[in-house]
Amino acid sequence: MKKKGLSDIPKEYAFNKGGPASKWRRIIAFIIDLLVVDFVLFFPFRGILTKIMPTASFKETYSYLQSNPSISKTINIIMLFFGILTLLYFAILEWKLGQTIGKIFTRITVASQTNKLRFWQCAVRSLFLIPVFPFVLLWVIDPILMFLTKTNQRLSEILSKTMVVNKYN
Amino acid sequence: MEKKSNVKWVIIAVVLVILLFFAFIFAGIVALFFGLSEAERIGTGNVALIHINGLILTEGGGGFFDEDVVSSTKIKLDIEDADADPTIKAIIFEINSPGGSAVASEEIANAIKKVDKTTVALIRETGASGGYWVASATDYIIANRMSVTGSIGVIASYLDFSGLIKDYNVTYERLVSGKYKDMGVPFRELTPTERILFQKKLDLIHEYFIEEVAKNRGLTNEQVNDLATGIFYLGSEAKELGLVDELGGEEEAIAYLEKELNITVEIVEYVEKPSFFDILAGTLNEKSFFVGKGIGSALTEKKANKLEVWA
Repeated sequence: MKKKGLSDIPKEYAFNKGGPASKWRRIIAFIIDLLVVDFVLFFPFRGILTKIMPTASFKETYSYLQSNPSISKTINIIMLFFGILTLLYFAILEWKLGQTIGKIFTRITVASQTNKLRFWQCAVRSLFLIPVFPFVLLWVIDPILMFLTKTNQRLSEILSKTMVVNKYN
Repeated sequence: MEKKSNVKWVIIAVVLVILLFFAFIFAGIVALFFGLSEAERIGTGNVALIHINGLILTEGGGGFFDEDVVSSTKIKLDIEDADADPTIKAIIFEINSPGGSAVASEEIANAIKKVDKTTVALIRETGASGGYWVASATDYIIANRMSVTGSIGVIASYLDFSGLIKDYNVTYERLVSGKYKDMGVPFRELTPTERILFQKKLDLIHEYFIEEVAKNRGLTNEQVNDLATGIFYLGSEAKELGLVDELGGEEEAIAYLEKELNITVEIVEYVEKPSFFDILAGTLNEKSFFVGKGIGSALTEKKANKLEVWA
């Protein structure tokens, strides 16, 4: 018999019982997750960035990075790796538990439109966290679609056939 | 139900720990490969403080035995870094150096001259010879009245062991192509012609030194030539002679910059923090190697045709 995991949420659960999670719950959950990621995963990079980045206005920082291509490159590499780590945080927890820390506190969960939530679905729905083209386009497209669709789905959620729903129990 | 919830938090903790582990590994790799452990900035502010302490050489300064060596390569990087940083409005060079290699001194002096910001040299105990060459490239020199400065001259003296090896019945087998190839080896005396050739080269470097100081300080070559006997001057004497602009210390340097730039000075200290590989390389370098091999042999093993000129 196939073992049923925590993330095996039936289709009818998502649409009929729990229902799509509200935008505000989702935003609060995302903010909580960002705080966790910033506090825990960004911690090792903080020292490096403090050393190489000036504490200055946006304009001064911009011109500093313009005149220091090697520093810009280092920062880009750090941000890319940090983006991958953040994607893994979201993807692994959503795959294993259906929830991240933020979603646990706001009592929402990720549901699959197919029967079982797969890792690739969790990875695709978090692709916007990778700070390189074309994924950065999702920073604009994703929130717009979330506000336009009835199910509050982002583009990456539509593509990954997932939806965030209220936790039912 | 509670058990399920506990399992959930354990999974979250494990995932976070694993990701944090990878974050630390990557941060370490970045710090190592991008040389971030080499120069550390202490504090945040608008004026960079770069230390030039010890013998000025082109390389070195990383190993356990190189504490009194400053590398022109590293200082140049610090200068370029401070110059490129828009938050830095001026640079103070705190100098405590008896000089060093003429090439390394000029490299630092040239890097200072390229800076678009106000530069100040603060001579502490010693800013002599190559140390003074570096100071002269800044916009303003401040020294303590008892600081040792000046000493505008060039030296390439070495020990001649030819008598000693003769006493021990050791023969120097001269195998060269090019009659001056082993000029300056410590195993034979210089010929009169070689002495003249050697002296000419030193005089030429001395001339460059004088020209640079004259240009940097707004003096004539003749004025500097009169002072460039190799003698050192106390800060108070140097002030009288126009080699130093003001007597004082860090407070005077800050006051000068605040008045000149109309800013409140906050110091950012550039500290050379050797990386693990620096320490390793420095420890395995020539000098450390000689500690094991014997100081005596190190002194006698002067490489043929390696003219060491100190300013």
